[in-house]
Amino acid sequence: MSEAMIQCEGLMKRFGTFTAVDHVSFSVGKGSIFGFLGPNGSGKSTVIRMLCGILEPSDGTAKIGGHDIVREMEPIKEMIGYMSQQFSLYDELTVNENLIFSGKLYGLRDKELKQRRDEMIETTHLQPFIDRRASHLSGGWRQRLAMACSLMHKPTVLFLDEPTAGIDPVARRELWDLLFEFAGGGMTLFVTTHYMDEAERCDHVGYIYMSKLIVCGEPDELKQMPDVNPPGTRRLDVTCDHVTMALQAVHQLRGVRSATVFGQSMHLLVDESVKRAQIDEKLRSAGIGHAEIHEIGPSLEDVFVELSAKHAAEQQKAA
Amino acid sequence: MKHNLFRGLGAILFKEFIVVWRDPMTLFFMFFPPLIEMIAFGYALDTDVKHMAMVVYNEDRTVESRQLIDRFVNTETFRVVGEVQSVDQLASEIRKGRAYVGLQIPPTFTRDVRAGNPAQVQLLVDGSNSTTALQALNTGLGIALTQSVESLLRETGRHGVPIEIRPQMLYNPAMRSPNFYVPGVIGVVLQIGTTVATAMALVRERERGTLEQLLVSPLSRAGLMLGKIVPYLCIGMAMAVLLFVIMRFVFNVPIAGNVVAMLFSALVYVFALLSLGLLVGTKAENQMQALQMSMVFLLPSVFFSGFIFPRETMPWIFYALGALFPTTYFISLMRAIILRGANFFEYWPHLAILIGMSILLFVLCALRFRKKIG
Repeated sequence: MSEAMIQCEGLMKRFGTFTAVDHVSFSVGKGSIFGFLGPNGSGKSTVIRMLCGILEPSDGTAKIGGHDIVREMEPIKEMIGYMSQQFSLYDELTVNENLIFSGKLYGLRDKELKQRRDEMIETTHLQPFIDRRASHLSGGWRQRLAMACSLMHKPTVLFLDEPTAGIDPVARRELWDLLFEFAGGGMTLFVTTHYMDEAERCDHVGYIYMSKLIVCGEPDELKQMPDVNPPGTRRLDVTCDHVTMALQAVHQLRGVRSATVFGQSMHLLVDESVKRAQIDEKLRSAGIGHAEIHEIGPSLEDVFVELSAKHAAEQQKAA
Repeated sequence: MKHNLFRGLGAILFKEFIVVWRDPMTLFFMFFPPLIEMIAFGYALDTDVKHMAMVVYNEDRTVESRQLIDRFVNTETFRVVGEVQSVDQLASEIRKGRAYVGLQIPPTFTRDVRAGNPAQVQLLVDGSNSTTALQALNTGLGIALTQSVESLLRETGRHGVPIEIRPQMLYNPAMRSPNFYVPGVIGVVLQIGTTVATAMALVRERERGTLEQLLVSPLSRAGLMLGKIVPYLCIGMAMAVLLFVIMRFVFNVPIAGNVVAMLFSALVYVFALLSLGLLVGTKAENQMQALQMSMVFLLPSVFFSGFIFPRETMPWIFYALGALFPTTYFISLMRAIILRGANFFEYWPHLAILIGMSILLFVLCALRFRKKIG
């Protein structure tokens, strides 16, 4: 990994007796896109809020660009941008005024301010809405404006907390195209998301579950983990009609460890001893016609599902 | 890198003025209720007792008895609303609320006066309202006393009474109650829009998530707070000037002292109220809470600031409580400057306390902001 831009060491946050973030350590290289995943309430936003200086960590340290987030917040504030889940904007202000305000907040003025605003409008294609109040923008445009605002001061690290929640697929794709462009320009991006396709596009992903970071690495690395690929098993993709009926049928087969529906097909984790012919036969006897079966590697979703289940089981055993 | 105490102030001012201007509801709620209350309080809080309804039961029916009734009417404290024919009717008129006072002149009145015997007149007063009752009683006693003294003087041939008090009413010679109440009403009414406005402004930022965005930026705490206060300070002062104009020209309260001192006191006072509002805003989680918490400060201040009831006659605990409200000092400043025409050396202690309170509230606010807002 190149030079680390964000570095966390044993970061903790407690709210009363509840530990929202439990010894989280990771590092994010300069100019890379770090995807931060986890279920709702697992501590994703809390980590972001600590890194942005909104919350103070209960324990542990973190550095951004070499500055400590507790003791040296001032220089960090100049270099980070933050886009919150709610796309926080001032509804009474127009698109133009929101941008001007964000620029002024960071000390931009006069020509520099106007120039930067024009750049951001061009980047995000907000031109047609320039004099429209933020309250009258649709979700996708609000998100673009929120991002434009967080970029006014040219941050070197950008934190995005679920930037694509509630956004249509086209706007989602366009946002990611922009993010890649920024990363290409050397910006470090820290993105939380629920979407696996977005996670697949990140350079590195971290998965936080029940306040603990349970895995962190490149998507391809994670798919190779032994925990995800238990010895003596393989993954099969079964494409057939009536997938939900088929799911019930294969559950009765011995040696099928797990089965999950993915649209028109299902993913099975089976013992190596299970033959394709057996599955085919089982489906036929259940009244399902031809099924296409081929071997596949795990998806990121498989990785997270497996690891969550394993982690939950361990927690239960410990308790 | 600049380490400016008020960093980001310009940005907040830019934004806040636009927000206030485009949110007519806030402006409306800052202006309209205080105006209504000013007018209502100003007219309603008139304790000058004039033309109290009086019923008369005159059993004597002589020139002398009618002269006595005229004396009552001539004080302008009473007006005769009817004559009755029995003591029971007299009592019943008062009970029904048709009259505050009943005057009974017995058939022996003129005879006793002429004979030099003590003539008795009965005055029934509705005691359910202590203010009016007291005034009716005093006026009635005064009439009897004057008339008695006059006849004694006639009999003894002396030209004047042994002791004569010559009262001189300073500062409010006509004893008009608007002069006493209206400067206080301004203090109470100015609280309504201001404290709630900044409390709401801050809570709204938190609810929308924009506060987080501000905390991530290099904006300084003082910059944020001052940026929130200044626009509302402008509105508050516009309000104050309007209220002073109404006081002067609608309620005809003359301003005896320095107008600049009066306005400066108002500025400090409004600043204190706005800081208090911000303090409430750092504590309240939603707009409903902000409103309720503001009320916790507003309501007691009406009672304990000396606005209606003199603080000196309160039990010590309420007296002490009154000392905690900026309103208390503002009202006494207003009475000093507007009514008594006091100069700086006479009113400065209260002004100093008010300035101290503003600074304290502002600093308290800044300290609360230091703790990261979760």
